[in-house]
Amino acid sequence: MIKAVIKRSLPGFDLNVDFSVNRELLAVLGPSGSGKTMTLQCIAGLTKPDEGRIELNGKVLYDSEAGINLPPQKRKVGFVFQNYALFPHMTVTENVAYSIRHLPITEVNQKVERLMNIMNVIPLAARYPRQLSAGQQQRVAIARALAPDPEVLLLDEPFSALDSQLKERLELELLALQTEYHGSMILVTHDLAEGYKLGSQIAIYQAGRIAQCDTRQKVFASPVNRTVARLTGVRNLMDGMVTRLDGPFAWISIVAWEVPLKACLSPDSGLVPGQKVTVGIRPEYVDLKQAEGENVLPSRILQAVEGISSVTYRFHVQSDQQAKHYINATISKSNAVCLEDGQICLLHFPPENLIVIPASNG
Amino acid sequence: MTDLYLAPLWISLRTVITATFVTFFIGIAAARWMARYSGRLKSVIDGLFILPMVLPPTVVGYGLLLLFGRNGPLGQVLLNFGTTIVFSWWATVISAVVMAFPLMYITARGAFEQVEPNIQDAARTLGASEWRVFWTVTLPLAWPGVAAGTVLALARSLGEFGATLMLAGNIPGRTATIPVAIYFAIQAGDKSQAMVLVGIVLVISFAALAAIAYWKGRTPRSRGFLIT
Repeated sequence: MIKAVIKRSLPGFDLNVDFSVNRELLAVLGPSGSGKTMTLQCIAGLTKPDEGRIELNGKVLYDSEAGINLPPQKRKVGFVFQNYALFPHMTVTENVAYSIRHLPITEVNQKVERLMNIMNVIPLAARYPRQLSAGQQQRVAIARALAPDPEVLLLDEPFSALDSQLKERLELELLALQTEYHGSMILVTHDLAEGYKLGSQIAIYQAGRIAQCDTRQKVFASPVNRTVARLTGVRNLMDGMVTRLDGPFAWISIVAWEVPLKACLSPDSGLVPGQKVTVGIRPEYVDLKQAEGENVLPSRILQAVEGISSVTYRFHVQSDQQAKHYINATISKSNAVCLEDGQICLLHFPPENLIVIPASNG
Repeated sequence: MTDLYLAPLWISLRTVITATFVTFFIGIAAARWMARYSGRLKSVIDGLFILPMVLPPTVVGYGLLLLFGRNGPLGQVLLNFGTTIVFSWWATVISAVVMAFPLMYITARGAFEQVEPNIQDAARTLGASEWRVFWTVTLPLAWPGVAAGTVLALARSLGEFGATLMLAGNIPGRTATIPVAIYFAIQAGDKSQAMVLVGIVLVISFAALAAIAYWKGRTPRSRGFLIT
């Protein structure tokens, strides 16, 4: 269990975060320069916060009021650096054994072998880091960080330099590692899919603040504001107003749209008629209909970007008014038969996939 | 006669070895301290450390003479212990150390600053004390630079003339190092002694240069952790 309240000011940047992680993996998502790495450095003791308190399994690592600031050596925090930071003058074995040299030799050997086995690097034991591929270096870096039995493992964008196949394989290994390693993990990433796959908890960073920190289902299903929605991949966001509530449904009129949208609400949404809201939907959830109906809107295709198994279209919503609305829709190729630029389609917004955010939340 | 003929070589060798040894340690200590120090006086201290390199050696020598002379602050202290170092063999060592120190310091500091901070931080998060980080990570990774600095310091102490002459003088068999002896041999018209000493200096200097080239060539990509 790690509890952290961190405040740190730099010229033009202000980090101010407050979160806690149990024995699970917290994925920290956010754009570059939002303070993700600095948070890890503060936890590891490599950077000193200006104010705050960091507690790891009941042990205080940093407390500005009590004047406590343990050096990194005493924190039992494992750190996997973005560029791996292996010791270039030591072999793989020496790298992994670095932190446990004071133990009896048989114990060191056992431990190193066990870790190298978990991370699949035993055949590389005698090599130097410069003789390893990026993925291999990554594995060695994780094995090395785990050797002193850290109480929390911090991973700073560990997969950002890897090609996508290797990345997927290492993501699987990291998931598997969670059965071997029972401490907390914090993974910093700017890759949405990676964060979702690996993190049971997700913290969304925005300009030095945590915009939302919750379970991944909660963060992705009900983002607290537009920023979180955008950062979690909700690319279609429309402003509107609640016109009518009916049991679990709400009718929302969207500015400049002729048809109101029907949306499913969570029981605790607390919306009232007349309230201004933002309605969002992920491009993947927009589908095509053959006939007019509820939540169906005619739109013209402006642009198509073809992916491997799906096509992402940019639609221009047809309306009488001047205002221009665009909708992005990612449509599986099996459904996207022969759509052409300029064609008018009927877009359908399934009520259960609409995300309704009260406008007061920004 | 032969004794006095080769005496400058033995004096110089002893001076160079002692001075390089001393310079090596205080240079590394100063470099490591300054590589991590970030106080307000950083540039002032840095300037002071490098000063002997930019000042004329005779000026440095005069400064040392004022410091270690009978009325100088350090000279007084030494006098209380019943000794003086001016015009003694130790004066040649002190002059050589002071003149060679900036080269060792600059080179070693550059080498320490080149070592990637993340690698040292990694060692810290792995529980290594600052002392261990320095000896097992920073110094080995900075070694080519430190070695080059040592060779430069060695060459500089071998060639030291101005400050040595001011502080140690030219006492044959006691303080006359090779450069000083060459100068006075030529003054006195003793060309054969000058030639012998010049030959010796050439050999030592070439050996030093070869050593630098060897070290530089041997560690082409010791920091090969960057992704290719």
